[in-house]
Amino acid sequence: MTAYVPPLKEIRFVLDHLAGMADVAALPGFEDASADMVDSILGEAAKIAENTLAPLNEIGDRQGAKLDAAGVARTADGWGAAWQTLVEGGWNSLPFDPEQGGMGLPNLLNTAVQEMWQSANMAFALCPMLTQGAVNAMQLYADDALKAIYLPKMISGEWTGTMNITEPQAGSDLAATRSRAVPNGDHYLVSGQKIFITYGDHDLTENIVHLVLARLPDAPAGVKGISLFVVPKFLVNADGSIGARNQVNCVSLEHKLGIHGSPTAVLSFGDEGGAVGWLVGQPNRGLEYMFTMMNHARLNVAMQGLAIAERAYQQALSYARDRVQGKPLGWTGNAPFAIVHHPDVRRLLMGMKARIEAMRGILYTAAAAVDVAHNHADEAERKRAGLLVDLLTPIAKGWCTETGQLLASDGVQVHGGMGFIEETGAAQHYRDARITTIYEGTTAIQANDLVNRKILRDGGAGARALLADIAALGRELADGADDSLRVTGLALLDSTVHAGDAVEWLLTAGADDVRVPAAASVTLLELLGLVVGGWQLARAGRVAVAKLAEGDPDTAFLSAKPLTARFFADHFLPRVAALRTTVVAGSGSVMALSDEQLFAA
Amino acid sequence: MSVLLLAEHEQGQLKAATRNAVTAAKAIGGDLHVLVVGSGVAAVADAASKIDGVAKVLVADSALYAHPLAEPLSALIVSLAGGYSHILAPATSTAKNALPRVAALLDVAMLSEITGVVSPHRFVRPIYAGNALATVESADSVQVVTVRPTAFDAAGDGAAAAPVEAVAAVADPALSRFVSADLSKSERPELTAARIVVAGGRGMQSGENFHLLEAIADTLGAAVGASRAAVDAGFVPNDYQVGQTGKIVAPDLYIAVGISGAIQHLAGMKDSKIIVAINKDEEAPIFQVADYGLVADLFKALPELSAEL
Amino acid sequence: MKILCAVKRVVDYNVKIRVKTDQTGVETANVKFSMNPFDEIAVEEAVRLKESGAATEIVVVAVGPTAAQETLRTALAMGADRAILVQTDLETQPLGVAKALKAIVAKEAPGLVIVGKQAIDDDCNQTGQMLAALLGWGQGAFASKIAAANGELTVTREVDGGMETIALPLPAVVTADLRLNEPRYATLPNIMKAKKKPLEIVAPDALGVDLTPRLTVLKVEEPPTRSAGVKVPDVATLVAKLKNEAKVIP
Ligand SMILES: Cc1cc2nc3c(=O)[nH]c(=O)nc-3n(C[C@H](O)[C@H](O)[C@H](O)COP(=O)(O)OP(=O)(O)OC[C@H]3O[C@@H](n4cnc5c(N)ncnc54)[C@H](O)[C@@H]3O)c2cc1C
Ligand SMILES: Cc1cc2nc3c(=O)[nH]c(=O)nc-3n(C[C@H](O)[C@H](O)[C@H](O)COP(=O)(O)OP(=O)(O)OC[C@H]3O[C@@H](n4cnc5c(N)ncnc54)[C@H](O)[C@@H]3O)c2cc1C
Repeated sequence: MTAYVPPLKEIRFVLDHLAGMADVAALPGFEDASADMVDSILGEAAKIAENTLAPLNEIGDRQGAKLDAAGVARTADGWGAAWQTLVEGGWNSLPFDPEQGGMGLPNLLNTAVQEMWQSANMAFALCPMLTQGAVNAMQLYADDALKAIYLPKMISGEWTGTMNITEPQAGSDLAATRSRAVPNGDHYLVSGQKIFITYGDHDLTENIVHLVLARLPDAPAGVKGISLFVVPKFLVNADGSIGARNQVNCVSLEHKLGIHGSPTAVLSFGDEGGAVGWLVGQPNRGLEYMFTMMNHARLNVAMQGLAIAERAYQQALSYARDRVQGKPLGWTGNAPFAIVHHPDVRRLLMGMKARIEAMRGILYTAAAAVDVAHNHADEAERKRAGLLVDLLTPIAKGWCTETGQLLASDGVQVHGGMGFIEETGAAQHYRDARITTIYEGTTAIQANDLVNRKILRDGGAGARALLADIAALGRELADGADDSLRVTGLALLDSTVHAGDAVEWLLTAGADDVRVPAAASVTLLELLGLVVGGWQLARAGRVAVAKLAEGDPDTAFLSAKPLTARFFADHFLPRVAALRTTVVAGSGSVMALSDEQLFAA
Repeated sequence: MSVLLLAEHEQGQLKAATRNAVTAAKAIGGDLHVLVVGSGVAAVADAASKIDGVAKVLVADSALYAHPLAEPLSALIVSLAGGYSHILAPATSTAKNALPRVAALLDVAMLSEITGVVSPHRFVRPIYAGNALATVESADSVQVVTVRPTAFDAAGDGAAAAPVEAVAAVADPALSRFVSADLSKSERPELTAARIVVAGGRGMQSGENFHLLEAIADTLGAAVGASRAAVDAGFVPNDYQVGQTGKIVAPDLYIAVGISGAIQHLAGMKDSKIIVAINKDEEAPIFQVADYGLVADLFKALPELSAEL
Repeated sequence: MKILCAVKRVVDYNVKIRVKTDQTGVETANVKFSMNPFDEIAVEEAVRLKESGAATEIVVVAVGPTAAQETLRTALAMGADRAILVQTDLETQPLGVAKALKAIVAKEAPGLVIVGKQAIDDDCNQTGQMLAALLGWGQGAFASKIAAANGELTVTREVDGGMETIALPLPAVVTADLRLNEPRYATLPNIMKAKKKPLEIVAPDALGVDLTPRLTVLKVEEPPTRSAGVKVPDVATLVAKLKNEAKVIP
């Protein structure tokens, strides 16, 4: 059985105490996001996730999306109705501008809802995720005429959106983009082939709005010559009704390791002269626009890492309570003995629990900062929050997706042999999790972004400031009264010293050999992921201890928080020192072998 | 102390649940009068008069009561209530419909589905789908109570028949009218009275597949039951449903096939003497209450079972 | 026509309840509460009647603690128009609730009252019938289908032997069974609108109703647990065990 029960209490705790839901609700424009409203919204979203989306997860995996004879990608049984549930419920419109039919609620709240969709059914949740991303890009850059035609229906979810970036020769490096767009009267004719396009075709809605990167005839080479176009599957008549079929053909669907329910399409544009498209914003600035969308999408994919880990954890926990095997060491109770009492099963479960809570802390904190960056009345506050989002985004995407995979794997391990057997569902989570470190920029691309744009560009100022904040918390806890938090505080403080060393090293490391920082980048990302993860757990522990002192009756839930932080401090923060050594001393040896030596054996 | 007990009957036959309720009434003590309400129910009254412990049978025989609607039935009971300390009935759909009305008209609280009698004013009743048992005391002068039949043994017949007395119908409040009934007809024993119940769940996949169960039921002289999921999916009619909101059964043998064992289902059958579960999911919660569990595909196991029997 | 629905806040049906060690009741601290599932069906039916044009307004009532406002908001988000909380911290019992509802009916004059057939906490299955009696109205209990025409309802009821259909002149009380409908999810706009819909709080005193429990719960215990038996390897072993060990089949 693969039930998913949204962890509403935990979500609420993180929203309120780590992300500052009340502060976000106090921002201009978010008056509706009162505490009881948040409860109602999360409660209803949880029902949909649990009762409608989660049961379709396995069906999607088994049936997969299939291309029919007419070239239409067919989704699995029940998916169409589930999509309708989201559309009719207005769920896609949650974070958008009320002027355009949105609900005007905070990104933070949307993040919590998306977490539940993603945990319930990641392959399904990609569709709302990408559609929301496409809306964000259109909202910022499209002209009013385009917005008027497309936005309301994309916001409601009557039409979905896609992101058409990748081409056979242009994956991580978009400078190689070849698709072309030629002006033709009031529009453009777009042609080229895009691959790996998620929900590039499907049968959930009557129209699909593709956002496509392509080059204008006179465009400069490289990334500064790429423009962004809107290319609908069906043209839209003046009265808003569906018109002629555009030249966008789904050539094939990929057979994949995971997320079988999500159609991954090869799309061919303009097979007979050119697909009709419209320019979004200015010519040659497409990549810049796409990046806005991508930053948002990267945090969402980071969320997939958390979400799949949560699902895998729930399943592992429930299996561990039921599976009887071997008398656990030191066990004094009666038979039967469930494996949850074996110390190593406990270690696996604690490792999952601690890192899940760490990820949630990071992602919700980042989501709240997105709201502050957009909506705060004070320019300085907006800027400060924006910088935090910039710095946290590659760390979150890289660390949460890599961690999500590890935890999905641990989930399999807890099941023993049954984990390797498809029926339990543990294997599906493991397979599904594997994509998250690849799309929206591989971990290496995140690490490049972290090193070059987020650390080197400002001379390390942002990273230093964040580490100083974390160190201050470490110092405070190290001096506090709670034993677990004291240990956590010391470990956190120590980790910031090592992290600081690594950052300072990076600032000069490239002077002699530009390859050295790149060789260190993913290790540095992992290092910073652990530090910010420890930071969030320490914050949670501090809040929980304070609430217990105030007499909050939820003692089992709250008293676990400082202990969980302590577990992370014992098991994960010590790795920061080792990773520092790898960064500082080991980056040179990455490229030490010549090609001849590498290929020698 | 004296008890008025509403008899349950169907098609001119006294239903066994009445006998279980008599046992509860005897545990309360005092004079026991059984009330038979219906049209053409002389044989029912006769059967009731023979039950051990019954002091008198009251019969309201009238066309008005051919289909016992809640309003006229409760009006009749209220007209007879004077002098009784307890008004009892087995927890059937007729009594569940009418007795709360009686209690409200008498301005007293009601106790639903008691499973134990501690004293004339103290009863045990299940709450939270049977996941807890509450001992409850009523301060009211009259106790209106429905009795869960499976919790009490059936009273047998006594040495002598009690006197049977006719009572007059009470004017119909005319607040509702009977239109039609669509009752399941079956040669098999009635679900709540059967010694053996064979029940199917969502795992049966279709109504046709229930034939696999019916074949076994017929060999064993068993009744056929179902989970809510099977009823909701339209495999079988609603009166097959066993559970918190369906029928409560406690046969000697309950065979659950393709039923996962949700608490709401367990609430209706976990007092069965022997429980057998056939399910292909070895983790299905039904196995936690089953005396004998068989992890198997039902489509393979049922034909084998048929053959073995 | 105005419809009145009553909704109760209960421990969510998915929660595995635990009896308190001091036997005073079940553990409710830090437990998820939701609207009683039967009441959700009642509200859904009212909303469908309104959508079909058979009703014009839906008023939902809860008798219970302040926290029951959440339950009322859920009903408002499903499509009810107005809510009333009869606020009390006393344990609510069907007779008292029926009296409170009667007082509300006197003020609101609905043409139809729909309530759930039973609450899944106390499993009483009484309130609707009691209310009908107190009002002197007819009742259609355990409804699995209702249709409105000519000032009457046709109610199909789930009874022990199958289905029974009755005609029910209005005003009347209907109690909802599980198969009456499948409740919808509240939509996001409706959840947001629900916040702005009127929710009135009244004291039982103001209605002239005494909610003091008439039944005293002396103790609450765990039911005897059944322990898992054995797994049998095949059908032949099963039959042998039923014959020779359990002796339940010949
Ligand atoms: C299921 C699925 C869904 C997808 N959905 C979409 C979609 O909706 N829209 C879309 O446009 N694309 C989509 N993609 C494409 C995805 O974004 C790319 O696969 C991804 O960006 C990697 O590009 P690539 O596959 O060409 O790998 P490559 O770029 O060839 O990378 C191969 C390896 O080289 C490394 N590498 C490459 N360049 C560098 C560098 N500069 N520094 C360090 N390491 C480097 C990578 O980290 C990786 O390990 C999807 C892909 C999949 C599999
Ligand atoms: C307020 C409320 C009241 C309720 N009242 C009741 C009630 O009175 N009675 C009731 O039953 N439920 C009731 N329910 C519903 C209950 O929660 C469950 O949903 C229901 O009991 C599930 O029915 P099931 O076991 O048939 O279906 P499922 O839970 O879907 O189980 C089907 C089982 O069949 C097994 N299976 C499938 N195929 C095969 C095969 N080929 N061979 C062997 N096994 C197979 C599966 O492993 C699974 O265990 C109520 C719910 C609520 C909310």
